Amino acid sequence: MGLREDLERYREVGEQRRQDLAEFIQYGDLGQSRADEVRIPIKIVDLPEFVYDRRDRGGVGQGQGEQPDVGDPVGQPEPGDGDEKGDPGEEGGEHDYYEMDPDEFARELDEELGLDLEPKGKTVVEEIEGEFTDVARTGPSSTLDFETLFKRGITRKLAMDFDEEYVRAALKVEGWGPEEAFEWARADGIPVSLGWIQSEYDDLPPGERGEWDSIDAMETAVERERAVDRIRREGIDDVPFRRQDERYRYPETIERKERNVVVVNIRDVSGSMREKKRELVERTFTPLDWYLQGKYDTAEFVYVAHDADAWEVDREGFFGIRSGGGTRISSAYELTQEIFEAEYPFSEWNRYVLAAGDSENSSDDTEQRVIPLMEEIDANLHAYVETQPSGEAINATHAEEVKRHFGGSDDVAVAFVNEPGDVIDAIDEILSTEDQ
Amino acid sequence: MSTIDNRTDAKETARRLREPVTEARTLARKLGLDPYPVNYWIVDHDEMNQLIAYGGFQKRYPHWRWGMAFDRQRKEGQFLGGKAFEIVNNDNPAHAFLQESNALADQKAVITHVEAHADFFGNNEWFGLFTDGQDQTPAADRRGPNATAMLARHADRIRGFMEDPEIDREAVERWIDHVLCLEDTIDHHAAYAPVEPERRDAQEAEDRDPEGAIEELDLSAEVTGQVFDETFFADHSEEETGFPPEPVEDLVGFLAAHGKQYDDAADRAVEMTDWQREILEILRREAYYFAPQKMTKVMNEGWAAYWESMMMGEEAFAGTDEFLTYADHQARVLGSGGLNPYKLGKELWEYVQNRTNRREVLERLLRVEGITWRNLENEVDLTAVRERLAPPAWLENVPGWLESIDPDDPRVDAEALSRARDGEVDIDRYPWKVLTYEGLAQRHYSLVKPQNRSFLEQASRSELESIARYLFDDARYDSVGAALEDVEYTRGWDRMREIRESHNDVTFIDAFLTGEFVAANDYFAYEHSYKTGDFRVSSTDPEDVKRKLMLEFTNFGKPMIVVEDGNYDNSGELLVAHQYNGVMLDVDEATDVLKRVFELWGRPVNLLTIVKEFDDHDVEVARRRDEEPESVEVGKRLRYDGDHVTVTDVEWETVEHLAAEDVDYDTKPDEWL
Repeated sequence: MGLREDLERYREVGEQRRQDLAEFIQYGDLGQSRADEVRIPIKIVDLPEFVYDRRDRGGVGQGQGEQPDVGDPVGQPEPGDGDEKGDPGEEGGEHDYYEMDPDEFARELDEELGLDLEPKGKTVVEEIEGEFTDVARTGPSSTLDFETLFKRGITRKLAMDFDEEYVRAALKVEGWGPEEAFEWARADGIPVSLGWIQSEYDDLPPGERGEWDSIDAMETAVERERAVDRIRREGIDDVPFRRQDERYRYPETIERKERNVVVVNIRDVSGSMREKKRELVERTFTPLDWYLQGKYDTAEFVYVAHDADAWEVDREGFFGIRSGGGTRISSAYELTQEIFEAEYPFSEWNRYVLAAGDSENSSDDTEQRVIPLMEEIDANLHAYVETQPSGEAINATHAEEVKRHFGGSDDVAVAFVNEPGDVIDAIDEILSTEDQ
Repeated sequence: MSTIDNRTDAKETARRLREPVTEARTLARKLGLDPYPVNYWIVDHDEMNQLIAYGGFQKRYPHWRWGMAFDRQRKEGQFLGGKAFEIVNNDNPAHAFLQESNALADQKAVITHVEAHADFFGNNEWFGLFTDGQDQTPAADRRGPNATAMLARHADRIRGFMEDPEIDREAVERWIDHVLCLEDTIDHHAAYAPVEPERRDAQEAEDRDPEGAIEELDLSAEVTGQVFDETFFADHSEEETGFPPEPVEDLVGFLAAHGKQYDDAADRAVEMTDWQREILEILRREAYYFAPQKMTKVMNEGWAAYWESMMMGEEAFAGTDEFLTYADHQARVLGSGGLNPYKLGKELWEYVQNRTNRREVLERLLRVEGITWRNLENEVDLTAVRERLAPPAWLENVPGWLESIDPDDPRVDAEALSRARDGEVDIDRYPWKVLTYEGLAQRHYSLVKPQNRSFLEQASRSELESIARYLFDDARYDSVGAALEDVEYTRGWDRMREIRESHNDVTFIDAFLTGEFVAANDYFAYEHSYKTGDFRVSSTDPEDVKRKLMLEFTNFGKPMIVVEDGNYDNSGELLVAHQYNGVMLDVDEATDVLKRVFELWGRPVNLLTIVKEFDDHDVEVARRRDEEPESVEVGKRLRYDGDHVTVTDVEWETVEHLAAEDVDYDTKPDEWL
């Protein structure tokens, strides 16, 4: 069927028509998305048609077991009617969102920003058995590699085999005894034992001794047959299986390293962080979270809010909290350090510490506490995002100080976001710092 | 479909289904159905999703929207556990697709369901509008839409255009998109006829008498008013020589006949290319082909659900071991929420059956000497009547009475009976085989079923009176017993078949949706509240709910758009009009459609409509009084010239003819919220 083609075409059309990723991050409605699914509005994939105004049309609904009262809200009316039996001639439907999982989001963002962040494997989570390609000398009989055993047996047979008649003929050389014959045979590369020669010599009728004048005469007269030819002619009576030829198949051991990441999102929730600044932080952090989640096998997120003190919150609350207190950024790093030490050893986890605020901090805190902590806390990346929509800052110097101190470092990024249009640059700055 | 293992499975499934297929067909015929022949195919899950995306066919023209449908179908299956049970297409022979992984009980249910659909496709007159009107007639002995071949031919043609190096593939795709935006703006009440370019009025069939035909449908004035409004008839009285002389519903056809394309380079309209014209007609033909299915969804699904239940449940087509699976399946399909066409349709059909049967019984009773509509309730013991109407023991338990059944009884198939007695018929499994249509009708007589126990007693006095009014020999019987002897048990089924022939969803729901039904299912109407900014329940009055429901079915639930003028402003512009029924257009989306129409007309296009606007002052006053503000209706003309959209307010006189006065879909109460 041509449906594969149609599906591909739909993907192309959908991709063309979905909102540009950068535009979506800066201005789009992030609220439609969930942690594991990014929903990007599509600019009308479905074709337009003459339809009623949805509001003016109203509709018919069905109550859940009882007839509702007039005036009750009905929620979002569902288009369609629970029709699961696909009918001929019915198609289309509301398709307002282009859905991406974080993996796809990360790929797209890589493409869009030209990033190339290679996630690092950390903990060895398991040793799994690969293909049965390794071999060992012992093992259960079911894994015995008989082919190898047989081949080695034949090789051994070939190596041990020699033309007995030919060696016997040498014993008939005038004046030769077993010692002479053995010496000659060995020099000629014939795998024969002295014992065998001795017993053959003993069995040799005395009349036959001295049949040849010299070894040269014998070699000229008697043709030596190669073992291979003899085996071809006579066949193999038995293959000598030896314990030392046994090989057992064994699965290859593959160490799988889990690429896991813990992301600490830190946000200044003090009184100076107004609504607009909060939204800018959300616009910057949310895509970063999606991106890292898409890049790594497992991602864990820690949300730390702080004013003069720091505390851990859940995601739902994170972007909405406001407090009235002052600001002491180091409190958040202290908490982060505690959390890392307790749960996320750097040997096992990739760590990202993303902090945001308006750069205001209590005096000397940045230099005396925050910077040393940032140096102390091992992480793939420390980032500070300054959001300063007003553009006016009197004692807002945290970002500048950090930048001055760590300038050019490959694990500290400082970015400035003053309006939605800066978000993409900030994300780019943060994510490209690590791979420099 | 690829691996040998799967093929073997499919063959095994096919083998096991051979008997159910044959027997279902035989049973369906016994029950009075006359389906198109059906070819059954066993497909896997992925193929099923593909078929659904393609609208029930294996081959369609290349287009991304099938991909979209497929993607959606697949995701639903994945995440919501949506399971495709059946798909059958409207063709002769029809093709039905059974999913390999379904349990045998499900397959049997699907087969019985499919046979009923195939009957509906073949016998509903709305389907005939396409079947009889199409230009590409199949073999004379085989009446039917010849759809599989037609759609495959369309697919080949369009693919051909796309692969033609002379034609830009993207241009073809865009052209298809333009036309698809208009696929519902056809005249779905008219027979399909291909359009001859520039030959005007080719699609106008003059030999029918619409007013008479509409009266025959026996509709309420309300439906007649909204479907067949004044403009529908206006043309028959006027001697107008405009272009078109009367409004044309088939916008796609009008564009196919008179449209041009806009040439960017030349900056003017030029004739459409051959491929453009051909695609336009291909898509129009497909729109006409699919229209009847959209128009009869409730009826058709209800019809299939009714007969499926009759065959599977009542006639125990599901083996006893399969019955539980089947019951579960049935419950799931009928139990899905929202406005469920299966449930709505099935219950309406059952209502039709019960009502017809009741009328038959009451007519007989009212002909008993001394019984009138006034005293029937007191004179006749309806519980006893119902007991008398119960089928005799031998009809209920055919195997048990096999030896004593009278072969000359009209309810008995004498030939089958003698074979059954010889042991040639599996009478335990298929007891219906020895019965005729009459026998089965009595065996499954609706009024004596437990769920309809009180239906007979519920007849209102006014219903009795209206029945009595038209009875002539009202003293034909001297006793109730004698009257009941004559009851025709087949009346219900006969009437159902008549209705499935002539009705569509709009007329069907209008005629048979009752207040009890609305109340029993907790249906309600809702409207948007300006004050609260969300949707609120506006009414639970059955009449209101029904009106709202009619809006969802009339003209596919879409606003009616007609061509009013092909030479608007005397400058070759197109004027289309929205026939306003009190519900306004989605103006943004309409604007987007207008841009597509421009591509098919080549010259500027105009849309006349009526919108509701809120005056700032009124809103403020309403806010203070805590009331819903009143909107004002204003005429608007949208125009697109290829570059810009302009919206102009127009005088009320310009749009007055578009506003329907006699319908009102607004269910907002006076005192609300």
